[in-house]
Amino acid sequence: MRDRVELAQARESRVARGIRFWRMRAACLCAGAAAMGALVPAASTAQQTPAVAGFTHVKSLGGIDEYTLDSNGLTVLLVPDHSAPVVTFQVTYRVGSRNEVTGTTGATHILEHMMFKGSENFNDPKGNSVKQFLERVGGQFNASTSFDRTNYFATVGRESLEGYVAIEADRMRRLWLHEADRQSEMTVVRNEYERGKNDPDNVLMEEVTAAAYVALPYHHPTIGWKSDIEHVPMSKLRDFYDTFYWPNNATVTVIGDIEPAATLNLVKKYYGVYPHSPAPIPAMYTEEPAQSGERRVTVKRPGELGTVIIAHKVPNGRDADQPALDMLDAILSSGKNARLYRALVDQGLALNAGAGTDLHRDLSLHTVYAVLAPGAAHAQVEKALLAEIAKIKADGVTAAEVERVKQQYIAADAYKRDGTSAVAGEINDWIAVGDWTLYVTFSQKVQQVTAADVQRVAKTYLNEDQSTVGWFIPVPPAEKGS
Amino acid sequence: MLLVSAAAAANVADHSSRSQVAGVDVVTYRTDVKDVVVILGSLPAGDAMAEPGNIAVPTLTGMMLDRGTASLDKFAIAEKLDNVGAEIAFSVGTQSVEVRAKCLKKDLPLIVGLIAAELRTPALLAPEFNKAKQQFIGALEASAQNTEARAQEAFGIAAFPAGHPNRPHTTAEFEAAAKSATLDELKAFHAKYYGPAHMTLVVVGDVVASETEAEVRKAFAGWAGGQDYVRPASPASLAAAREVTVPLADKPSVSVIIGQPTGMRYKDPDALPLRVGTAILGSGFTGRLMGIVRDREGLTYSISAGVSEDSIVDGLWDISASFAPALLEKGIASTRRELERWWRDGVTDEELAARKQGMVGSYRVGLSTTAGLATAILTDLQRGYDVSRLEEFPDAVNALTRDQVNSAIKKHLNPSRMALIEAGSIPPAGSTTQAKP
Repeated sequence: MRDRVELAQARESRVARGIRFWRMRAACLCAGAAAMGALVPAASTAQQTPAVAGFTHVKSLGGIDEYTLDSNGLTVLLVPDHSAPVVTFQVTYRVGSRNEVTGTTGATHILEHMMFKGSENFNDPKGNSVKQFLERVGGQFNASTSFDRTNYFATVGRESLEGYVAIEADRMRRLWLHEADRQSEMTVVRNEYERGKNDPDNVLMEEVTAAAYVALPYHHPTIGWKSDIEHVPMSKLRDFYDTFYWPNNATVTVIGDIEPAATLNLVKKYYGVYPHSPAPIPAMYTEEPAQSGERRVTVKRPGELGTVIIAHKVPNGRDADQPALDMLDAILSSGKNARLYRALVDQGLALNAGAGTDLHRDLSLHTVYAVLAPGAAHAQVEKALLAEIAKIKADGVTAAEVERVKQQYIAADAYKRDGTSAVAGEINDWIAVGDWTLYVTFSQKVQQVTAADVQRVAKTYLNEDQSTVGWFIPVPPAEKGS
Repeated sequence: MLLVSAAAAANVADHSSRSQVAGVDVVTYRTDVKDVVVILGSLPAGDAMAEPGNIAVPTLTGMMLDRGTASLDKFAIAEKLDNVGAEIAFSVGTQSVEVRAKCLKKDLPLIVGLIAAELRTPALLAPEFNKAKQQFIGALEASAQNTEARAQEAFGIAAFPAGHPNRPHTTAEFEAAAKSATLDELKAFHAKYYGPAHMTLVVVGDVVASETEAEVRKAFAGWAGGQDYVRPASPASLAAAREVTVPLADKPSVSVIIGQPTGMRYKDPDALPLRVGTAILGSGFTGRLMGIVRDREGLTYSISAGVSEDSIVDGLWDISASFAPALLEKGIASTRRELERWWRDGVTDEELAARKQGMVGSYRVGLSTTAGLATAILTDLQRGYDVSRLEEFPDAVNALTRDQVNSAIKKHLNPSRMALIEAGSIPPAGSTTQAKP
């Protein structure tokens, strides 16, 4: 009933806000939860790193201190921020749908759901399960699964931190994995899958991704294929848990009103009871073969508005070219002066248009897209999107465009100081691609990008023979399958 | 930063300021965040104010606000914002046009000035009007395929009589109206409804009240007019149960709503007890609906209960859920069973104690960001409270008794008269009784 204007602007503004992980298609425990606020810590916090027995200080950067718990390899990031008496605690496991194979697709996500079914010392019968505790203290919490990681997090009043840490640590190695719980949770996850299928654009993006990646496990959606969701046995889930849920495959991040030494001792108290994993965490060694020609996919379903997506594989999220690609995306899609707005939205070809990159630990996926305006043709819109890419490859971008994006990053760094939960989410995403320090350094790297860099990355990566093009073509219900 | 401490009582008075500035109700709240400022504002120019003849005019007028002013075209506005990394966004709701902005402290004068110019002197030019119409129609067409949006629309129509501000128009009605709307209608609407008389601006973050008020005074000086919110003569009530289905093809998940009008505004003495009781039924993972219909029975991914749309007029009470078509009958039956048990037997002392503690804690955590704090303040003002409500809310929740909660549930709700809405690919009745699980 509300916000009809926002309906039309939602996608545009998502990119306009400079959200790099603009389309991280994570599945999560509960719809509508999480994603609170928009705060972040003071990046310039000058502090002494405490020496706490049992921890090795690894490095400090931008007000974030990294430690390792010597006994088991757990990584700990501390981000003190005393602007509000709240704390966000997060544990990120470096396991995602990239670690799944045929038959177990979606297992990471199902396991994430099972993590809320109780553990040895904290469970519903005892009245102290993670849900019961966090809702009793008013915590804002959730969990999510993506291609490269799984995270569990809560923002609580500082007085409730220890209670949450105790529960989170317990379920790292003492999780209940009961077949009856799997059966009831399977249908919950299946409905999450079904809800996603209600949206044709979501279906199109899955099809484009599946076509773009033929070998890397990014090929399959994080939520998994429906048949795998329904049939994956408990034994496989248990194997998954016993392979990946170990301290040396996890990073704990604590942000907010904390005292560092006390917080480290708290982490040691609850996580220090576990050993290092008995076997090395398996590496995902598959590599994507080179793509030697354009790929195209089409989705036809009942609907009203068409969509065009053009995807290109680009380097991993840590790559030195990512800041220039991010600059390219902002120039294409940030605000009403963006090139895609001027060329497509303002010309009546699209309701909205944008560009962004799903950053991955391995090859990432860059996309430009447009939702067709009523009456616009797919071929016409695809041609217009390609024309804007071609212009940048041929003529480059202007110094004014580059400077404008840099100013937006400067402001965005200040906005980060406004909230612990949003900080946790962004650090989590950088952990996923393999380097949390990019949370601090990425915007600094953007400040070094030149117009020539932007043109170079466009020429290097956005080529037809390495593209995957997807069309969602809406059809009247009767025509489906004809 | 704010109210999570025991010194809450002192915080609000020390950190906030409220005054009439150039006819605008201005609230500032200074927090410990450095450099960041969030601005939220509202004025009564939403869908409920539509004049007879064209229901799309309020939305289209709102869509024109950032498309140019008397002195700046839309690209010039965007350039000013982009150059400092600031954001201004307008939205049109049932009763209000709302503005949300975020900027650095140094840019507050620029942003306040742009907001004022966009509200006061939108260009309202034909070429942009035509583009706005096209985009609105496109958004409506997309919404027409969204099961949740269609379920909400059908529920609002079932719950509220014609003429009630909360009664929505159908997507088809909006689309027809958008096509026939004229620029003159927008100009007349803007002249009548846009003004400072009932406008509120909430400015939170690294702000100084006197400096902020000076900027507002400069930007809004000389502006006049504005209308009050629309309030019906009598609250809505549902006389009899009704079922509405909205068939949509190829939707693997059906959106379901069960609910009724509450007949109450937020400030009604029974409203908070009903809210807390409703949270026990359907808020979060420990709400009964999630705990039983989702966790125990595995019938849905999402199910919740809530009260909404009651800040200004009498509002809605509803359970919203999604079910696979094959589990639809079973899911609705389970939901109804829990609804009726809750209504019949009420909540327990243990449930109430836990929920009160959780609501207060969650409220305080929510105030730990500038955006969360600004939203809470604006909502409280729209409900008719002062800024002091920030510190009064926890006490109000903690003071509730079980009898108050259970009697509010019984008095204001009636499961036998609720509407049932189903939107999606709905199987024929009786065809899903053998479905798993």
